[in-house]
Amino acid sequence: MPEGLEDLRARAAEAVELATRAGAQDAWGTASKERSVEVEYRDDILEKVQESTTRGLSLRLWVDGRYSTHRTTDLRPASLRSFIPEAVALTRALEEDRFRHITPPELYAERPTDALDLVSGAVQRVTPEQRIDWCQEMVEAARAHERIISATVGVSTREGMFAAASSNGFSGDRESTSVWCGGEVTLRGEGERRPEGYHWAGSTHLEEVPGRAAIGARALAQAARRLGSTKGPTARTTMVVEPRAAGHLLRRLIGPANAGSFSQERSFFLGKLGEAVASDELTLIDDPLMARGFASRHFDGEGIRSRRLPLVEAGVLRNIYVDTYHGRKIDMAPTTGSRSNLSVPGGTKDLAELLADAERGILVTSWLGGNADTTTGDFSFGLRGHLIENGEAGAPVGEMNVTGNLLTLFSQLVAVGNDPWPYSTVRAPTLVFEDVQFSGAAA
Amino acid sequence: MTISRRRFLHHTAAGSAVLSMPTFLQACGHGTQQRVVTGAPAGANVFAEWFGIGQEDVKAGLAALTRHGADQAELYFQHRRTSSIVFQDGIVARASTNIDQGVGLRCVVGDQTGYAFTEELTRDAMEAAAHTAASIARGSAVVAPEELRRQELAGQHYRVEVPWRDVGIDRKLPILRRAAAMARRRDPAISKVELWWNDVDERVMIADMHGRLVLDERPMARLYVNVTAEKDGQRNSNTANIAARRGIEWIGDEELEQVTRQAVERTMVLFEAGRPPAGEMPVVLASGPSGILLHEAIGHGMEADFNRKGTSIYAEMIGEKVAEDFVTIVDDGTLAHERGALNVDDEGNPGQRTVLGEGGQLRSYMHDAISARHYGVAPTGSGRRQSFRHVVMPRMRCTFMEDGPHSREEIIAAVGNGILAETFTNGQVQIGAGDYTFYIKNGWLIEGGRLTRPIKDINIIGNGPETLRRITMAADDGRLDTGGWTCGKNGQTVPVSQGIPTVLVSQLTVGGENA
Repeated sequence: MPEGLEDLRARAAEAVELATRAGAQDAWGTASKERSVEVEYRDDILEKVQESTTRGLSLRLWVDGRYSTHRTTDLRPASLRSFIPEAVALTRALEEDRFRHITPPELYAERPTDALDLVSGAVQRVTPEQRIDWCQEMVEAARAHERIISATVGVSTREGMFAAASSNGFSGDRESTSVWCGGEVTLRGEGERRPEGYHWAGSTHLEEVPGRAAIGARALAQAARRLGSTKGPTARTTMVVEPRAAGHLLRRLIGPANAGSFSQERSFFLGKLGEAVASDELTLIDDPLMARGFASRHFDGEGIRSRRLPLVEAGVLRNIYVDTYHGRKIDMAPTTGSRSNLSVPGGTKDLAELLADAERGILVTSWLGGNADTTTGDFSFGLRGHLIENGEAGAPVGEMNVTGNLLTLFSQLVAVGNDPWPYSTVRAPTLVFEDVQFSGAAA
Repeated sequence: MTISRRRFLHHTAAGSAVLSMPTFLQACGHGTQQRVVTGAPAGANVFAEWFGIGQEDVKAGLAALTRHGADQAELYFQHRRTSSIVFQDGIVARASTNIDQGVGLRCVVGDQTGYAFTEELTRDAMEAAAHTAASIARGSAVVAPEELRRQELAGQHYRVEVPWRDVGIDRKLPILRRAAAMARRRDPAISKVELWWNDVDERVMIADMHGRLVLDERPMARLYVNVTAEKDGQRNSNTANIAARRGIEWIGDEELEQVTRQAVERTMVLFEAGRPPAGEMPVVLASGPSGILLHEAIGHGMEADFNRKGTSIYAEMIGEKVAEDFVTIVDDGTLAHERGALNVDDEGNPGQRTVLGEGGQLRSYMHDAISARHYGVAPTGSGRRQSFRHVVMPRMRCTFMEDGPHSREEIIAAVGNGILAETFTNGQVQIGAGDYTFYIKNGWLIEGGRLTRPIKDINIIGNGPETLRRITMAADDGRLDTGGWTCGKNGQTVPVSQGIPTVLVSQLTVGGENA
């Protein structure tokens, strides 16, 4: 009989019990289990089959005003009976920290009950034969090019569950599934170059994943559109970012919007709550209650009840992520300690229409390296994409960087699309920025 | 499964640990050499002591794993204990321990891999996993070894005095307090100091279908210093870190002074720093951390898995002259206490030195057993995995370039107008197109052959083979970076190190801002 949620609930509760018996005033236990299966095909051979179940127990301990966290995959009862008291003893060796307290019950009471719909029976029932068939369908479509060198495709599924319990009465659990199909394609380009492209589509539910042949064809198209790529120009011009690439910029923007970064003074949002941090085109909502979302949840890692959290409304910074610890340090009420699903409402046009509006500039299809300073917002990213010519994606370009400051960049946001990328926790639409600095070939 | 298969390199921003002195390549010892003793019977108790199992359990797992045949099959046992501390506002904000153990079972037939793992170290669980992994094969059973015979290590490159499991948090806290105080003392503008520490004890045991049994203990430690300073209403932060396969005896005031000085100096210079002009220009890479260039521009492209699949830009370039005569690039697992050092790789092959290119000519890829068999060559000891949950791939260890004939001063003077790159946060490469990037956190503008003003936060982008051709000068000041790097590939991360002398790349595309 495979382990189920009941077993995980019992394990979490037992860990809390062992911890309090060993002298912890408070304890929070989480028991998890995940089964995953991956199949990978390269060209005409089955290259990899991997199947596994992983289990773990994590424990957060509050002992005499001191705090520590622990995790183990060695779940043998005898091991736990020594691991947990040792963890409590280690905690006693730390210093007191007046900001550390277990999540107060009022933060986890009255959790929402919206149906999140995170479990797909169809994902649980995928057979080995189906995986192989899907790989073959994808690889056939992905190889349909005269310049093909190699295509690698894969199907992976995951079923996860966890249960959490605390010494002050919290009890909660969650179960979810996911499936990913996709692959990458390498073509023979000009000279020594071998341009590559990839496409992966995934969801909590099998029926949300498009047809396998279409996925393979899209991976191929991603590689084929790189053929003939040249070094892009050094210029200041409009930047249109495709939905698939736009999530990267939103993650960078939101990265320092949390109480930990505020408390360590490493956030360019410090002192800007209630102020404009972007053009009024930008609204960003953290949405943990989105049906079928990869990061949907009724409570966060600290047990805090979920709610829709507007981070940015019409360009104004309204909220940041606040966990209980750093919230106490900087005197802010907790919101939630971590990001769930991010949505960007308000767009009325899709990529093609926004390209037409832009007329000329650079279309970014993917990033390569680069970084951003969370304290100042200064950034520089490598990119690939296309020249925008006559309002359409034209010649492919690469070996370019875009450089600037995130706050300045988002103040130059002139449009968001209505075309969010569905295969991510960041549902990013097309983003259009004006007057952006690109570096490439000498003018 | 990863969504993007792009390869990246970064300073891991999650927990951390310790320090090393600037290590010059010439001074790098090769650890304590031990005689290779092959075929000694495995001591009965090593299975029990390390993993609480018996030799018979391992043999049963191997038999199940090879029941449909195999070109190669092994059980990879791993026990890893990680201790992490976040030190914030003068106290420990969080201390964590993580115990991870399990066994990965791999069955290889040609280029095909069947893989499964279990965290439950019982015969039943291992046999069940073995059946899953064996399903890739369609042949007849291989005769399982009658006895596992222990192979002694060919070299010991990271012996420590006291294993980390025996070092209490009471010995680590004074080190962190001292480091935080040192950083604060350096400049009154420092407003925040945050330290991330981690230390790792790892035991690995590999038992293969030929009866070979290999054991390795792998320590790792790292200290990561984050600093924020405030001056004239402006804030800047920066980091420095030191990492090595060392024990606590390694961390003294000298090491703490070095890493805190680096963090503070790199932060304070940002107040004066600006962006260079945008576009193509000569780039001088300062010795040490600039080894990131080798990792991205050539290293990944020389990992044999991409080449046997034909997906690397270097797939048909072995034996070709690709760079100036003075360019010799090595990937080495035998450098004592380096973060990338390996006594044995994760397939049980001895750690070794692999010359990727010599005299400007490409020599050898980095191989795991699958690619070595594909090319009909010996494995290079480059088969690595993140953990028992992951399959083996060819990976870099410590990648560096030998010294060249020039001096640093000569190189800067020869540039005219360009930039000098000094510290980095991350890099990335596309193996097929050959385009790679790295991000410069600190550097200098070069005008008229002289360093004129500091620069910051710019990405550099180039093409691997083109860059090799454009390395026109290299100095005699090679050293390894003392900071710890983590390399990601196909969703797996492994620790690596790198180094380089000061070199000139005659033209690269520099992120920057034009008026």
